[in-house]
Amino acid sequence: MSSPEGDYLHIVMPDQISVRRQQLGRLIIWGSACALFLVVILQSLDQVNFFSIGFENWRPTLYAYLLWAFCLCLGQVILYGEQGKRRLFILPAVLFVVSVVIFPLIFALGIAFSSWNLSSPDGRQFNGLDNVYQMWTDPFYWNAMKNMVYYTLVILLEYIVAFGLALLLNAQIRGRKFFRVVFLMPLMLSPVAVSWMIGKSMLEARFGPISRLARELGWDNPSFFGSPEMARAVIMIMDAWTFIPLMMIMILAGLQAIPKEMHEAAEVDGASPWKKFWEITFPLMLPVSITAILIRIIFKLKLADIIINVTSGGPGGATDSVTSFIFREYRDRSNVGYGTFLAIFYLIIIVIAMTVLIKLSDRWMKPRY
Amino acid sequence: MKVELYNHLVRNGLTRRSMLKGAASAGALAAMGGAIPSIASASSSIRAEIMKIPGVGMGSPGDAEWQKVGELCLGPVKERVKPGEFKGVELTFMGLNNQNLHNFLFRGFLKPWEAYTGAKINWIDLAQADYNPRLQQSIATKTVDFDIIEMGAPFEGDTAGQGLLNEMPDWVKDQIDYNDLVGYLQPPVGTWDGKAYRINIDGDCHTFCYRTDYFGSGSITGRANPPKTWQEVNQISKDVVGKTDPLTGLPAHGFLDPLKGWGGFGMYFLTDRAGPYVKHPDDPAFLFDVDTMKPRINNPGWVQAIQDVMDLIAIEGAYPADQINADPGTTGFQQFLAGTGSMLTWWGDIGSNARTSDSSVIGDVVGFNMIPGSDRVYNHNKGAWENTYNEAPNNAYLGWGVYVTNRVEGDSKKRQAAWSAAAHIGGKDLSLWTSAYPSGFQPYRNSHFNYDEWEAAGYDRAFVEDYLGSNLDTYNHPNSLNEPRIPGIFQYYSVAEDELAKGFAGQYGSAQETADAIAVAWEKITDSIGRDSQIALYKASMGL
Amino acid sequence: MKKQVFHDTQADLSFKPSWMFSRLLIYSVLIVWAFACLFPIYWTITTTFKAAPDVMKGNIVPWWDFTPKWLGLKSLGLSPNTIFVENTVREEFLKRFWNSTIIAVASSAIAVALGSCTAYGLSRFSYRFGFMRNSDISFFFLSQLILPPVVLALPFLVLYKELALLDTRIGLIALYTLTVLPIVIWIMRDQFGSIPVELEEAALVDGLSLWRAFVTIILPIALPGIIAAFIISLVLTWNEYFFAALLTSSHAKTLPVMVASQTGSQGIAWWSMAALSFAAILPLVVIGIILERFIIKGMAAGAVK
Repeated sequence: MSSPEGDYLHIVMPDQISVRRQQLGRLIIWGSACALFLVVILQSLDQVNFFSIGFENWRPTLYAYLLWAFCLCLGQVILYGEQGKRRLFILPAVLFVVSVVIFPLIFALGIAFSSWNLSSPDGRQFNGLDNVYQMWTDPFYWNAMKNMVYYTLVILLEYIVAFGLALLLNAQIRGRKFFRVVFLMPLMLSPVAVSWMIGKSMLEARFGPISRLARELGWDNPSFFGSPEMARAVIMIMDAWTFIPLMMIMILAGLQAIPKEMHEAAEVDGASPWKKFWEITFPLMLPVSITAILIRIIFKLKLADIIINVTSGGPGGATDSVTSFIFREYRDRSNVGYGTFLAIFYLIIIVIAMTVLIKLSDRWMKPRY
Repeated sequence: MKVELYNHLVRNGLTRRSMLKGAASAGALAAMGGAIPSIASASSSIRAEIMKIPGVGMGSPGDAEWQKVGELCLGPVKERVKPGEFKGVELTFMGLNNQNLHNFLFRGFLKPWEAYTGAKINWIDLAQADYNPRLQQSIATKTVDFDIIEMGAPFEGDTAGQGLLNEMPDWVKDQIDYNDLVGYLQPPVGTWDGKAYRINIDGDCHTFCYRTDYFGSGSITGRANPPKTWQEVNQISKDVVGKTDPLTGLPAHGFLDPLKGWGGFGMYFLTDRAGPYVKHPDDPAFLFDVDTMKPRINNPGWVQAIQDVMDLIAIEGAYPADQINADPGTTGFQQFLAGTGSMLTWWGDIGSNARTSDSSVIGDVVGFNMIPGSDRVYNHNKGAWENTYNEAPNNAYLGWGVYVTNRVEGDSKKRQAAWSAAAHIGGKDLSLWTSAYPSGFQPYRNSHFNYDEWEAAGYDRAFVEDYLGSNLDTYNHPNSLNEPRIPGIFQYYSVAEDELAKGFAGQYGSAQETADAIAVAWEKITDSIGRDSQIALYKASMGL
Repeated sequence: MKKQVFHDTQADLSFKPSWMFSRLLIYSVLIVWAFACLFPIYWTITTTFKAAPDVMKGNIVPWWDFTPKWLGLKSLGLSPNTIFVENTVREEFLKRFWNSTIIAVASSAIAVALGSCTAYGLSRFSYRFGFMRNSDISFFFLSQLILPPVVLALPFLVLYKELALLDTRIGLIALYTLTVLPIVIWIMRDQFGSIPVELEEAALVDGLSLWRAFVTIILPIALPGIIAAFIISLVLTWNEYFFAALLTSSHAKTLPVMVASQTGSQGIAWWSMAALSFAAILPLVVIGIILERFIIKGMAAGAVK
């Protein structure tokens, strides 16, 4: 699993692993694996009523798995010594994630290719590619996909705002700590609270404080969710409001890590602030910017709570995000098979897009190092 | 009863006169011991006693009062259960947390019950939006983890239809006086294939609320009386465009249609409009054909209702700004109660809700009526309009009930305990209290409409008669709409909301196209649930 | 400081007006944004004390355009006249608050522990796991963040039922750990990447073991990053709603579900929704104020290479 070449941290450790120790290591790993296997077999047989031991649930299997996972980690150290200890760094997390995700994911794939309306007395039924055809002709889904493109594109604007704010916070200002704490606040509010307190109360068209402000500013009949464009923009703003702080602190963190000497050198050269920004700050901030944008994209792709609570995707689907549409299909209409398929399809698209993005950004940034 | 109504009654009803009168008649009651013929004497003194907890005018009752009422109403339980009989039994109760009522109320009522019987109850509180998905997922994945469930009748198809519920034992029927229910809650509601499952705790219906200052001589509509038909309603909505609201000084608006979905509940409001068009007195069905489950949603009656809404959308100013984003909650609580718009359909008593200064800005200018009728009705079986006046009020959601699940099957002690707890909440005397004090529940028994008891407790007679009377009219209307209790009914509603939202946003060419799209989606749902079983269950739910 | 000195020289005095102008601009932008951040929170707090008409009329300033009432806190049993009386709603609120605290803190802590180790491993050694190399393993973890919750909903319901983990804190903790682990790994990988390898090499030469060096030397240096990752995990797990509503019933229930319960067919209890929302953000705000400086530092380390 680990190969010495390519390690950033080179350690040369004499590892004398005796044959007995190796045997012990193998015994522990394989012994616990056998135990796990045995428990699984027993439970499965019990499940199909081959014989009855009286298991109430699958907890024994869980415990056996935990035991095996522990022994596997222990065995690594015994078997491979120093090499094993390195594996120990990532092994627990890998085992954890795989065990928590793998079964549900396989199950989800099964669901995705079946017709399963929870109200149906027939239960789940495999229906092959029917869900694919249905998705292909589902105007709601593609409309939501289209909206997601808009929602994602707007991240660039959010990024500019976040960058601007980070620059301000990084400037010589009084009360910097105050502003930093305050700017962080929106991130803490739960989406449910944001939807209700802002989306439904503050943006109420007649008496909400924002509408009143709008009226003061000369907009006679403010309407925030009346037209598709406006509704989408307002949703975007509300979502941006909560997540700009996250991008902002990442960028601010980056700004503060720029060595002071760089600026001083530039100052001595007599560079204008504008030039200084484009030639020093921005290029240096590129890696952190890309990280921030990627993380933001991931969060944006899950955008749902605000839409579900405030507009339910309206008017006429203009604000629907893929996730909010899937929620309606899945929760309100209990159309689990189709809903899961849509989600998995979405997942695949995201994974492909993210892979491409990450690879691209890697390549794009490499020459700069 | 809602908190607001209660506060209102307290504020307006509790004059010195009625207080004295109330005290006097309560005294008389006690002296005569059975002044109300229909009620046994022991019970009537309890009824008079609980109606004084905490006493009208003593503020909103809380946990202490709930427990006290629960304690006093334990009589019927004690007759059938020995103290400590259910020791060691643990029950799980799934219900709603709606503004910290519902399940919290039950907790208080059942605490004395727990103390007496020795059983213990665990609580699952759900937000209203999570209720349907949670229930469906529990059923489908066999993770039903509750013994007692608070549930609306529309879900009976999902539960009783799939054999999930436990049949009500006869002793429970005795204990709760099963036959006391108002007309529309009588079987087939609450029953399935002739077996009873439901202990009622609530009555539901939509009523029509209007602003009284929009009507009468010199009013901006120029009409003496509120509308009697939907045709008039639309006309008024058109007439008041450009006029000024007499109360707020802002633009006046007519009827408030929620144009956005509400997890399925929004569909009830289109049904309000469509009812008189599509519910022919000779035909119990109005959403689907009974024999084929073919949707009727795209018949001319329903299309007319959708068209009525679209007509108003087309007129600038007929609806307030942002109406396209208004769900029923918004129209009711953020528009109507805030003085925007003049007419509305809503459950029970939002109209009287409006009168209290705690929850609305419009004050005492609200009246309520039965839902309007129509000049003509579409006869689906004949395929033709009939030009006769038709009324069809909507008993939307059919009220909350308490059910026991089959998890108690096989454990007779647990079963008895579960039914005893459920029967306690749905008890005859206790329900009088829930309908008279803030609880989230409305009257649903004939015995609740005994105005003397209300008056004796200190309520203003005229107001009570007015308010209760209008509910009673709807409950007992011969042509009222009782929705089909088939599995997945909320799926149909939910998908209809999605398509309607598209239609209202102008993405379909016409009302007919919108309705056709809904019909297609409904057929799809029927097929995915299973047409034959849906037809069978539909018939079963109608008692055919 | 140096900058200041430059500006004070004679030659720079001519720049003063434009400098003043830029100061003005900076502060006005700062103040406007601060207002945009704080007003909704102010609105939430004041709404706790408003009756429905005050909310509907959009009244803003207490004692000036509305009279504050104890409605919000009273509905939770926390107002002065209800706080000493038995109250089911308060019990429920406290129980959920406690559950939320335990679940959010535990899952964040586990995620940070697991994630730090993983991130350290990924930043120091190269692994091969079948066809997967370091970057693939990183992406594997990251992809857990992308996973739409709907995909896992029903499978988890069934899995947890079989494992008897439904309605247990452990079950929820495991799931939340999974959801925040990727972001922890991301932050920590950058963090460790910025710590020079020479540090450990020196320690190892001194005879410390690998893990010992990690725990006693590297982790303390990476503390800001750990805190940053912890806080962000805390925010995400504290506010999680979807799985909480799905997987809990009577024992492990959390706060966000109660916030959503304040609306329904009986209208909107603005005051108690506001009170709950406020109670829900209060711990996060306090933590944010106390630990804010670590967040920036923690995110900073690996940012610029």
